[in-house]
Amino acid sequence: MTGKELLLRALADRGVQTIFGYTGGAIMPVFDQMDKLGHFKFIMSRHEQGAAFMAQGLSRASLSTANPQVGVCMATSGPGAMNLVTGIADAYMDSVPMVAVTGQVATGVIATDAFQESDVIGVMMPICKQTYMPLFVEEIEQTVHEAFYVATTGRGGPVVLDIPKDVQNVQVDKDYHFDTAAFRPALPGFYYHPTPAREPLQKAVELINRSERPVIFCGHGVISSNAGKLLQQFAEKVNIPVAFTLHGLSAMPLDHPLSLGMMGMHGTVEANRAIMEADLLISFGMRFDDRVTGKLSEYAQNADVIHVEIDPSEIGKNVQPTVAINADVYRTLHVLVSDPMLAGKPRRRWRQRIAEAREVMAADLRREIDKGVGDDGALLMKTIIDRLSKLTGGRDLIVSDVGQHQMMAARFYNYQTPNSWFASGGAGTMGCSLPMAIGVKLARPEERVWSINGDGGFQMNMQELGTIMEQGTDLKIMILNNGYLGMVRQWQTLFFDGRYAGTPMQSPDFGQVASAYGIPYRKVTELAEIEPAIQEAIDHPGAIMLEFVCDPSEVILPMIPAGGGFDDMIIKRPKAKKKKD
Amino acid sequence: MKRRAILAFMLDRPGVLQKVSMLIRKKMYNVDTLTVCNSRKKGISRMTITLREDDEEKVQQILSQLEKFTEVVSVKELDTDHSYWREAAIIKVEADDEHLESFRKDYTFEILDHKSNEIHIIQIAGSTRRIDAFVKDLGEEHIIEIARTGVTALEK
Repeated sequence: MTGKELLLRALADRGVQTIFGYTGGAIMPVFDQMDKLGHFKFIMSRHEQGAAFMAQGLSRASLSTANPQVGVCMATSGPGAMNLVTGIADAYMDSVPMVAVTGQVATGVIATDAFQESDVIGVMMPICKQTYMPLFVEEIEQTVHEAFYVATTGRGGPVVLDIPKDVQNVQVDKDYHFDTAAFRPALPGFYYHPTPAREPLQKAVELINRSERPVIFCGHGVISSNAGKLLQQFAEKVNIPVAFTLHGLSAMPLDHPLSLGMMGMHGTVEANRAIMEADLLISFGMRFDDRVTGKLSEYAQNADVIHVEIDPSEIGKNVQPTVAINADVYRTLHVLVSDPMLAGKPRRRWRQRIAEAREVMAADLRREIDKGVGDDGALLMKTIIDRLSKLTGGRDLIVSDVGQHQMMAARFYNYQTPNSWFASGGAGTMGCSLPMAIGVKLARPEERVWSINGDGGFQMNMQELGTIMEQGTDLKIMILNNGYLGMVRQWQTLFFDGRYAGTPMQSPDFGQVASAYGIPYRKVTELAEIEPAIQEAIDHPGAIMLEFVCDPSEVILPMIPAGGGFDDMIIKRPKAKKKKD
Repeated sequence: MKRRAILAFMLDRPGVLQKVSMLIRKKMYNVDTLTVCNSRKKGISRMTITLREDDEEKVQQILSQLEKFTEVVSVKELDTDHSYWREAAIIKVEADDEHLESFRKDYTFEILDHKSNEIHIIQIAGSTRRIDAFVKDLGEEHIIEIARTGVTALEK
C-alpha cells in the first residue's frame, strides 16, 4: 500500500464519509486515489476557506446527533493550505473538532522555497490544537488516528496534517501492519479530566444552596457535551435563571421561563442586569470572553463564581473562580442533578428584580418589531428574524454570518431545538455562513437550514453558490442588505460621530447572481412581503435566495461598549452628532 | 519584577521548542533565559525558562497553557527557596595571572586554557547573582568574550 491509500484507509476507519476540499499539485495523489476508491463523498468548494467552513459546519451540527462526525477538509500546499488558515483559526477559537489535510512539497525540496511551498506547520501551530507532518509512510495511519483523538477529546479543536507529496506515494514495507482496533494515542502529556472531583462539587452545592441571587451561564460546552436537557433539569431543580453565551444559545429552549436570553455586549437587559446584581455565577462550558464580561475589573464584583470547564487553562484565565470544576459539563450536571443536597429556593425578590429588568426594553422592542420599518421605510432586521422565527416555530437550523444581522439572529430567533444555532463566535469571521451552512445541511439533511447573511459577509464567500448549485444543496439563503457593513456602521454611529468610513458597500444585483447559479431569488422591500417570501422559501424544495432591503440606521441594542462595564450598557439610541449618509 | 523559573518536561520532537516560545511571546513576555537538555528518560527533554512577572495568576496561566500542549508531559514553577538555580559561564579574560588568582578566595572557577600570559579561558558555575558578581569584580574591561548557559534548575 502507498501513503495515500493508508491516509484514506485511516480516514475511512475513523468514520469519515465526506471530504471537503480543493485539489492542487501537492495533494493530487490523494485526490486521484480518492476518486479511484469512490468511498468518500467529495464536496469541491470554490475556495479553500469555504472547504474549512463546510467541514466546521458538519462537525458543529453533528455534535448533538447520534452520529457525531469530524469535518475533514483537504487542500494542496502553499496557497491552498494558506487559504484554510481562517477557517482553521475560527474552529480553534470556537473549539470545533476538525481535521485539515494539506499536501506539502516533496521532502527533498522542503525548505528550499520550492514552488507552492509554505511552512504550513509553522503557520498553523498557533491556530490549531495539534499539527503533524508524517515524514515516513509508516507514520501516516498512527498520525491520522491520533489527530482524530486529539481533535475530539476534551475541548474540541482543529488538527492539521501536512503530508509531503513523496510520502503520499511511497510504498509501505510488506511487513507493515497497523492495528486500528488496538490504537492508543502516544501522548503522555495529554491530560483529560472528564469526571468532576467530589470536593469542589460539594463546595459548589453549598454555594448554590446559600445563594439568593444566582445566575446560571450556559456556554458552548453545554452543546458540545450534549448537556442541554440536563442543564434545563438542573435550572428547574434549583430554580435559577439561565443566561446564554453566543454559542450557548439553543442548548435549551429560549422561551423557557428561566431563560434570560443572551448575555454580554449585545445581550438582553435582564441577563446583564442579573449578572451585575448576582451573588453567584454558575458557569458551564464557557470561557468568560471579553464580549461576555466587558470591563473585567468591574465584572461580577459581588458574586462568587463556580466555573465548570473541560479545559483547565480556561479556568482563572479571565475571571478567578471561587470554585473550579475541571470536568466535562455533561458529567458534572449529571452528578449535580441527582445530588440530594442540592435544594431549590423560591427567591421571589430575585425573580421580581429580573422581571423588572425584562420590562426595561420589552415595550420598545415590541413596538419596533411590530412597526417593522425604519424612518425611511426600509425593513428592520429584527422584524425579519422575528417573522422567520414565528413561521418556522423556532425549530429550524440557523447559520449566521458575522455582524449586526448575527446579533439580530441571536436575539430574535426563538431557538427551540438543541444545537440549532451556528455562527463564528471567537474569531468573528465574515463570510462563514454560506459554506458553514453547506456542512450543517450535510450533517442534518432532514432539517431545514437557513443561511443568514449581511451584504458584506455574503460577498466574501458568495462563490460557494457554485458548490450549492453543483451539490443541489437545499439551503434557504437570506441576505439582509442594508448597503453597509452594519455592525461597524453601528459603532460609527455610536462612537465615531456618524462618520461612516469604509462601511458603505455597493452590491451586485443579487438576483442576477442567484440566476447565474440557477437559484430562485426574491427581493423583499415591503413589510407585507416578508412572510410570503419566507413561506415561499419554506415551501420551495431546493436552494432559494431572499434579499431583504434593510434600514441601514437600525441598531442592535442594548450594547455594552467595547471595554466598558455593565453599567455602561446603552439602552436607548443616542442621537448621532453628525450624519453623512 | 520577580524572576520566575518554569520547569517543563516535554517530548523530544521537532517544533516543541517553537510552540513553547510562541506561547510565551503570545503572552507578551520576554524570555530571560531558556535551557533545554535531555532528561533521565529517553525521548523526554527538560526545559528551564526564566521570565519576569509579579502576578501569581498570570504565571499560573502560563503553566496551565503550557500543560495543555500534548507534547508537554509536566510543568511546574520552581522558586529559589525550594530549588537550586544555576548557570555556567565560559569567559575569555584578558588579565595577568595575579589579577585572576586574586579572585580565588571568593570564587571557584576553573582555567580551561591559557591562550597567552595575558589571555585565559575560564569556566565558572553558580547562581546568576554569583556569576554577575564575578563578572563585576573581575571588571568588564578584562572580558573579551562571555558565554552563559542561562538558568537550569532542580528541586531541593
